[in-house]
Amino acid sequence: MVKWSLVGAAALALAATAAQAADGKPIVIGIPIGLSGANSVVAPSVVQAAELAVEEINAKGGVLGRKLVLEVADDASGAAGAQKAFDSLIYQKKVDVLISMETSAARNAGLPAVTKGKVPYIYTSFYEGHSCNRNMFVDAWVPEQQVPPVVDAFKAKGAKTYFLIGSDYAFGRGMLGFAKSYVEKAGGKVLGEEYLPMDGSDWTAIVSKLKEAKPDALITSTAGGAPNVTLTKQLRGAGVTLPFANLALDEGTAKSMGADAEGVYLSASYVTGIDSPENKAFLAAMQKKFSAELRTPNDLSVPEYEAIYLYKAAVEKAGGTETAKVLEALPTVSFTGPRGTITMSKQHHAPLTMYLGQIQKDGTVKVAGTFKDVDPGEQCPKLP
Amino acid sequence: MLETLPVAERAAAAPRGRRLSRAAPFVVAALAALALWIAPPFLDTFAVNVLTRSMIYAVLAVTVDLLWGFAGILTFGQAAFFGIGAYATAMILGAYGATPLGIAAAVAAALLAPALLGLAVGWLSFYHRSTPLYASVISLVVPIVVVQLIYSGGEWTGSSSGLVGFDVLPFEIEGYFRLAALFLIVVTLAAWILVRADAGRALVALRDNEARCAYLGLNPRRLQIRLTASLAGVAGLAGFLFANASGVVAPENAGFLFGTELVIWVALGGRGTLLGPVLGTVAIDYLAANLSGDLPFLWQLLLGTAFVAIIILLPGGLADLVGRLWRALPVGRRVPAPPRLVARTAETEATAAATPILKVEGLAKAYGSLTVLEGIDLEIRAGELVSLVGPNGAGKTTLMRCLSDGTEPFTGAIAVGGTPITGLTPNRIVGLGVGRKFQVASVFESLSVADCLRLARAPHDGLSPVGQAETLGLPQPALDVLRMTGLDRLLTRPTHLLSHGQKQALELAMVVALEPRLILLDEPTAGLTKAERTTIGTVLKALTAEGRIAAVLVEHDLDFVREISSRIVVLHQGRLVLDGTVEDVVGSELVRTIYAGGAHG
Amino acid sequence: MLLTLDILTTAAILFIVSIGLLAIFGVLKIINFAHGAWLTVGAYCAVVTAKIGLNPWAALPLAFVIGAALGGLAEHFIIRPLYRRPLDAILATWGLGIVLGQLITLAFGRDVQLTPNLYAGTVEILGVDYSAYRLVALGIALAIGTLFALTIERTRLGLSARAVIMNETLARSLGIDTGRVRLVVFMIGAGFAGLAGVLLTPLTSVDPNMGVSWLIGAFMLVMVADASYLALAAACLVFGAAQVLISTFVSPILGSIAVAVLAALVLRISPKGFSRA
Repeated sequence: MVKWSLVGAAALALAATAAQAADGKPIVIGIPIGLSGANSVVAPSVVQAAELAVEEINAKGGVLGRKLVLEVADDASGAAGAQKAFDSLIYQKKVDVLISMETSAARNAGLPAVTKGKVPYIYTSFYEGHSCNRNMFVDAWVPEQQVPPVVDAFKAKGAKTYFLIGSDYAFGRGMLGFAKSYVEKAGGKVLGEEYLPMDGSDWTAIVSKLKEAKPDALITSTAGGAPNVTLTKQLRGAGVTLPFANLALDEGTAKSMGADAEGVYLSASYVTGIDSPENKAFLAAMQKKFSAELRTPNDLSVPEYEAIYLYKAAVEKAGGTETAKVLEALPTVSFTGPRGTITMSKQHHAPLTMYLGQIQKDGTVKVAGTFKDVDPGEQCPKLP
Repeated sequence: MLETLPVAERAAAAPRGRRLSRAAPFVVAALAALALWIAPPFLDTFAVNVLTRSMIYAVLAVTVDLLWGFAGILTFGQAAFFGIGAYATAMILGAYGATPLGIAAAVAAALLAPALLGLAVGWLSFYHRSTPLYASVISLVVPIVVVQLIYSGGEWTGSSSGLVGFDVLPFEIEGYFRLAALFLIVVTLAAWILVRADAGRALVALRDNEARCAYLGLNPRRLQIRLTASLAGVAGLAGFLFANASGVVAPENAGFLFGTELVIWVALGGRGTLLGPVLGTVAIDYLAANLSGDLPFLWQLLLGTAFVAIIILLPGGLADLVGRLWRALPVGRRVPAPPRLVARTAETEATAAATPILKVEGLAKAYGSLTVLEGIDLEIRAGELVSLVGPNGAGKTTLMRCLSDGTEPFTGAIAVGGTPITGLTPNRIVGLGVGRKFQVASVFESLSVADCLRLARAPHDGLSPVGQAETLGLPQPALDVLRMTGLDRLLTRPTHLLSHGQKQALELAMVVALEPRLILLDEPTAGLTKAERTTIGTVLKALTAEGRIAAVLVEHDLDFVREISSRIVVLHQGRLVLDGTVEDVVGSELVRTIYAGGAHG
Repeated sequence: MLLTLDILTTAAILFIVSIGLLAIFGVLKIINFAHGAWLTVGAYCAVVTAKIGLNPWAALPLAFVIGAALGGLAEHFIIRPLYRRPLDAILATWGLGIVLGQLITLAFGRDVQLTPNLYAGTVEILGVDYSAYRLVALGIALAIGTLFALTIERTRLGLSARAVIMNETLARSLGIDTGRVRLVVFMIGAGFAGLAGVLLTPLTSVDPNMGVSWLIGAFMLVMVADASYLALAAACLVFGAAQVLISTFVSPILGSIAVAVLAALVLRISPKGFSRA
């Protein structure tokens, strides 16, 4: 008997230490991201935002007493790389959650691993919409949220006819497809809708068609980076000066385009010029942490920052990192960050405040309009 | 007797070694299959996942190796076929689910759609006189077009986002690992058997010397197109497996960058070795999965640098390095057993004496404004040995070219055995019974003497796609050439180790092995020793003496001509100036004038 | 009218981009797969010129010199050992392209670079408002073509190059140092590629991958043109016109693959391409 009770006591003690270890074990956040390839321009800023969020949270005692740790993996901005990166994070690094921005191809390539590996995934990139997975939540915008501010503003300025130009890929077509239906619903007319392959570099014929069509306004949605710059250069070279909204433009790219970007409209859920205490504190903290190394925060990096806080809130509400409970908690928690108060309450997507911005001569963005809590619409009707 | 003795000895020793070497690949494959079958529990999930994909990529590397390493077709297009297979699978399984019918349809589509496109690409890439560079360029265009179609496919193809969420085969990741391993082993083994078999030598022959293939009556175009189409099908099947194993397909799977990546893996592993590319692909892809996350740009830089260095310094890749070390060891040096030579009875029927074997009427040819041949009329009958003489630039070689290649632009008519040859490619003219020996010995440098001869017999005897025949049946005259020149004792020797004279003799034996009715020989004795000339002269005389074969040779050595010819034709400035018996021509004043001051003045 | 201008200027840009490749292909009979990387290097010369505050046009000579110098190194260490293995030369130059791209990335980062505009604004020509720079590019293409023609027809180097193109063995036996001809031609070709990179900066984004999208088109044009600069000019006009017309009247997506697909078909039907004309 004595023996037995001793063993029992020892077992209890062991179990207790094991439980303690589990509690003290850090929570690992996986960031599969395009350090190389198309996304490599924006990826460093996203990683910086994540690093700040983790530092801030850990400085205040972590989540349920556990520290947060980041694991970053390059997905080369593509499907094949994403498969490797997701596998590595889920199976090798055994992360508790994935939080990151990615190309749609990379996201899709990773989703099977997310389902099989049973981890929660917060996708922090704006995208063409309608990507649905039980394990995935999105805290960035979809066309339904981004396009209306632009079209409404143009309409207010008296634009009736529109011309749409984009890159031939899911995002470009998704954005312009929605823009077309929205323009038509608003009583406007689309005179032309033209696409060039993603790696195309000669927009000559399309620019000429645009000039012949003589629309009141132009909306473009190219792939980020190079095609965007190329199209803008060729438009400006051809002397196109009509009201011009660029759905794929961010502040950083606008700066590298110099004078060519002046006057262009963009629509985003985040611009650095948002006048709120949260944004100012965020920018100051970023500046302090990274100083010379700082990559300008943007519409892709800020959602990453906020998503980590949203995950923190969900884990605290769920009382642990168990996937089922975290997924249950995620749509119910909120966080007030640089973009305002975010809740991923609508079919795994989030209503967002959108800003209409106009590029100034010095490359900065002036907020020309604010649109409160724009609804993401019917993204995933089959998901709660 | 003295000569046959060692052959007999070797023949006795051969079967055991042969059986062993024939069983070896199967044993290795079985062991590899067993090892990979029990591997998953010992690997972590990450390794299982990554290796599953690496092994599927390795299947593609095998197809690239067959095309490039063996057949000499540098291709970037395998990625496109792979992508089409994967997309066909994803689209069908997405629409009909992973029902038995859906799976069967997906497999069929993944195999057939790429194979059909492969046929079209093959037709586009390979035609008479197409260049390897052109074929490579086409293989570049294909993935670019396919990816563009995928981008434009909207909902159908998921555009840039690819397709995800379709039903897949009901396997766990370990199941896919095993399936991929089996597929890789089966494909590699099949490829291994093919390249070791006689038919596999035809691939190497294509790479070495496409013209010689055509002039042996093999149809290089058809071989290349078939190879392209069937390997496109294999790549498509790999795509089927990939779509199922990964649950997602994306445009980059079909892209030209992936195509170049495959070539890089094959080059680093070692082209033309099969195992090199397989191991190279798995190793590099696995390494990339582990390393590239930490040093994305440096990884690319290292890979690029290694690639350039390997191409320049070690074209055979890492496998070549290993192979050299292996051959340096005593166990690595194994001389393959030579096939047994067997005499075949001749199959050529005697041509009716009434119809000439060769009839040329009013042949003329010009390069631009330069007339090379003009008003040539010539008839040659069985049993004749006609020498074509004339000074340099008289048009002798051009005439030979016109006789053996109907696609040469010429005017006038040439008929072989009554069939006009205008527009016929060389391989079809060989089919009419014309054999051509080139001025510079044209053999297959990376093959053995026996393999060269076997290829020459391919139009008659076919080539085994699975094994190596133990006998080599040749018509008696070909055997005579071999015996007289001692080549019969060098059957396993690689031809690039032969002397100049031996290469000439080998080519002659190859041409004779074709059992032609008309043999065209361009300076068969150039650069040969006196003894070798005598041998060749004896062979030619014996060949034509039976009265079934005619021979035309271009020759400068007038002594030799005088010795063996039954008739001499003199060409001068593109015209046929004299046609008569040896006595007529040798005594002619005209010939003296033409060759004025020459060796025979 | 707009259409005519589009066709002419598109052809001009294609010509500028592919002339360097043609020089190399004509004489060395190898396709320089690193051509895209040379375009990129040239464009980064424009970035550097702007950074040190020089006139944007000063980038042209700089890019020519740097392109030619790099070309000399590449010819010596990579092309020369592969002279007898033309397919391997394709692969080695492709590898070189990867290496150059990664080096540029390591030095300048992945980001799109800001370059000053060489010639901004539009001009009114024949009733339409047209991009001034495209017209300038048309002039430059004509100038480059003329310069090229003069070099080929009127200089010793041109004579040697033509001899090598026609029959290298014969050229060598005539005492022409074919090795030197190949080196010099490769350097000139690479220099022109660098130049083209600068001239592209007003039209496209400047980033480490910018050259790749121009590579295939240039490649196909050169295949069609074989070794003749006149045939190249004709090919640029014909395929440039096809690209613009298909883009305008059918679909820009089809238009963007028009050059590659049409050139492949032309080569299949007439293997000598345009050079026979």
